[in-house]
Amino acid sequence: MDVWNNLNWFIPQLLLIFFALIMPALDYIFRDKRILAWVALIPLLTIGALTVAWLFAGTWTPLASGTPLLEINVFSGLFLLVFVAVGIIVVLSSPDFIRKDKNQGEYYALVLLAIIGMSVVAESADLIALFVGLEIAGISSFALSGFRKTEKRSAEAATKYFIVGGFSSALTLFAISLFYGVAGTTNISGIGAVLAGPSSQWIMDSDPVVLLAAVLLLAGLGFKIAMVPFHMWAPDVYEGAPTPVSGLLAAASKKMGFAALFKVFLIGILVTKAQWEEAVAILAILTMTVGNLIAVSQTNIKRMLAYSSIAQAGYILIALPVATQYAVAGGVFHILTHAFMKSGAFMVVAAMGAVAIGERLDDFKGLSRRSPFLAFSMTLFLLSLAGMPPLAGFASKFVLFSSAVYSSLEPGQSWLIWLAIAGVLNSALSLYYYARVIKNMYMEKGPEEKVTVPPMMCAGIAFAVVMVVLIGVFPDPFVSVCKDAASAFTGLLSGWP
Amino acid sequence: MFEGIPIISIIILMPLIGAVVTFLLGKREQYAKYVALGFSLVSLILSVLVTLAYAIEPGATSTGYHDGNGFFNYQFYESYSWIESLGINYIVGLDGISLPLFLLTTLLSTLSILFSWDTKLRPKEYFGLMLILEVGVLGVFTALDYFVFYVFWEVVLIPMYFMIGVWGGPRKDYAAIKFFIYTHIASLALLVSIMAMYFQAGVGSFGMEDIWRAGQTEFTKGFQLIVFAAAFFGFGVKVPMVPFHTWLPDAHVEAPTAGSVLLAGLLLKMGGYGIIRVAIPSLPMGADAMQIVIAVIAVVSILYGAMLCLAQKDLKKMVAYSSISHMGFVLLGFATFTELGIVAGVFQMFAHGLVTAVLFMMCGVVQHKCGTRMIPSLGGLAKKMPIAATMMTIGFLASLGLPGLVSFAAEFMVFASMFQMWSVWLFLPILSVAITAGYYLWALQKSMFGPLTDKIDTTHVHDVSWYEGVPVGALIALIAIFGVFPLAVFQYIGPAVKVVTALLGGG
Repeated sequence: MDVWNNLNWFIPQLLLIFFALIMPALDYIFRDKRILAWVALIPLLTIGALTVAWLFAGTWTPLASGTPLLEINVFSGLFLLVFVAVGIIVVLSSPDFIRKDKNQGEYYALVLLAIIGMSVVAESADLIALFVGLEIAGISSFALSGFRKTEKRSAEAATKYFIVGGFSSALTLFAISLFYGVAGTTNISGIGAVLAGPSSQWIMDSDPVVLLAAVLLLAGLGFKIAMVPFHMWAPDVYEGAPTPVSGLLAAASKKMGFAALFKVFLIGILVTKAQWEEAVAILAILTMTVGNLIAVSQTNIKRMLAYSSIAQAGYILIALPVATQYAVAGGVFHILTHAFMKSGAFMVVAAMGAVAIGERLDDFKGLSRRSPFLAFSMTLFLLSLAGMPPLAGFASKFVLFSSAVYSSLEPGQSWLIWLAIAGVLNSALSLYYYARVIKNMYMEKGPEEKVTVPPMMCAGIAFAVVMVVLIGVFPDPFVSVCKDAASAFTGLLSGWP
Repeated sequence: MFEGIPIISIIILMPLIGAVVTFLLGKREQYAKYVALGFSLVSLILSVLVTLAYAIEPGATSTGYHDGNGFFNYQFYESYSWIESLGINYIVGLDGISLPLFLLTTLLSTLSILFSWDTKLRPKEYFGLMLILEVGVLGVFTALDYFVFYVFWEVVLIPMYFMIGVWGGPRKDYAAIKFFIYTHIASLALLVSIMAMYFQAGVGSFGMEDIWRAGQTEFTKGFQLIVFAAAFFGFGVKVPMVPFHTWLPDAHVEAPTAGSVLLAGLLLKMGGYGIIRVAIPSLPMGADAMQIVIAVIAVVSILYGAMLCLAQKDLKKMVAYSSISHMGFVLLGFATFTELGIVAGVFQMFAHGLVTAVLFMMCGVVQHKCGTRMIPSLGGLAKKMPIAATMMTIGFLASLGLPGLVSFAAEFMVFASMFQMWSVWLFLPILSVAITAGYYLWALQKSMFGPLTDKIDTTHVHDVSWYEGVPVGALIALIAIFGVFPLAVFQYIGPAVKVVTALLGGG
């Protein structure tokens, strides 16, 4: 049973691969394509239930990884949960959105494959595994963005995404090769040990090669998380891709980039922190501000949500320069809540697309009369994104921003307070454009005829609503899990207020 | 009476359940008002019972007594763990400062719901949002944990945004967004200062009492000054103080009548309450350093607000600006840091809540019956609506500080405390009394008395409806009662304020 012992930790991925492979075949068997979505939900729900049992109930524990390439811990489990949850929401919303398209089996197969790639990134302990994961997820997402081959917008989005993604992969790979050249290993904690260890006195912590690699990696992963100035592709791709796919990209794919960034910057090259902390802090502030400022002038809801998720990436980036376990917990927590509120918001847009309402901000006018459920859910998602209590977004922003305040009270760290202030001011700014959508839905007059949202989409949106409210009102178990996840970063200050 | 019963939570929960029931009514929208009135009435009755059960001289035997040991002494104290990993507990309780405002909240909410009895536009949402607003305000006045306080503080924003934005006047979009953004930015300043206090205290708890206790030794003078400035800004925008007052006239003019009543009667009080509950006790040295600044802002608010009233043609806008002036008295009372001044400030909040509710309701009546609130278009309405004219006259007289009505006691005490502190400088705020009398009497004369106007069609102007008359009548009765027996409220406020002044003396 040696093989089994070694594969035990790979259960989620195996399950996903199996279903991803049979999905195109099932496409030929079932005439009702809705069944495909139900089949795709099987592995997602199973993994979701197992992960919840592991993280929250403590009734099940996966074995430690049997390979040096991957590491299973609470951090990777939490990310797996995020990806799977977003996957569930996306799959629930898809059948009605793509009901007229061909090759639906491939669609679900690609969604599952993308989730495999993301989970590998979250589990990777080695830069090679990390890169493989990035590529699996990336290639699946390119194909997904171009799923509507005959639609010009969709094809354009896929092409753009492919070119940018390819470029960012090249940068990442180049950075990995530099790291290997300097440290002689691609193991992330191994690189950290080499950079910090006495055996390698010849590597200064300001070694230009290390810094060059760091910059290249920041750029490469910066594309993935749509960090300013590498954000240009995001609005175009999110706008052009089928809306559920946009949700997957914004809520899950982006989070994969953060998992990689956290691992490399806070484990691999933590000792060089003094060299990059200010630069990353400035990029964080720039990202949130630019994202919010441009979002204000958008007239298409998907572009607006794209810029809003650029801004949200800026908030999460706060965790890097602050670099305490508390900050990482805040970052991970915000990743978790953002996954629900952003995918929820995209699914509302998808639902509107499915009932032929359109995706301009003006199309939201009078939505509260046409579909009270959609309008109410969207309001909750947007208020949560803006950080209004008692919703999930407030709880996670609270932890995230307060981590900057907390560290700023340490001697010599007082500049970190500006991260919190920038975050807070940006939250106020973001409220302006979110409130405009809410205003359109509730206060403007629009078409009167009622619309009926397909039940599966309702289920997906309702799931996100429940999570946004649940995390907002009872954040304690989620904060605890994020705290455990952050404790994987042993090099960071573990102080918890 | 309420031994072992989490009565405060029940009172907060009532409107929340009511709101959920209201939203779930579906097509039976016409029942929304009954549900809303029922649930808010239950809260009102329970809060009156709580007031009766509240011990003025608290001892260990009082219901839910919590000895703050140098901080405030609370009754009906409840504490449950909420977010353990961050040291956040759900703590609520009442003391002499929060009790009058707590009672005011349930009272004004119930009366506002009654006053909106004929709301035809989306009544389900309207009454549901009013109940959520009540939940938020009740929470703010009872929360004893900074995190919980902030959550309730923000909860108030959203229903008010919708009330202005959906049921408001012609420029509702602008007013709603301005209100939202303005007060939200202020809230965020508050949030950052709460975080700073939490971490500086370093006790791993958001409890007001814990942070206060740790702050005695941990908060340096420089820290207190910065954090107090941020918190004071956060609360001051809500009060509102000049120069951060510009959201108020817009919001008031566009809001529906009941919205204005709650906005002026309750939301402004949240600002004042925050200053006396959070900012001053936790950061006494910071407050001390900014005493003159607070006093100057208060006096400017009093005078500037009053002068702006003189220039208004819209009855409601005039009342809105008068709120700025009258809330200035609250700040001025606090700024003296004397027991007399702070008691007067708290009492002025209570008094202003009652009086301004009458004024906005009467503006609503005039708008409702005549179709306009523009003073030049009105005139001689007393002939058509004698009861309304009487009520409006009483309201205006109460607001300008006629002895025997509730505001007089409050303003007189503020003046007295200011004289103790800064002697002859009293001549500045006291000028406002003359200005106030001027604009109120002028407005009354132009709109209610004199020859009947021919600028609007007055043939169909009727007197107040029952659902308008009852709330105003009830408020006027309270204004008279507490005007004659202000001690009925002072006896509650006094002991709690002694604690604040002791803290200031210690700082």
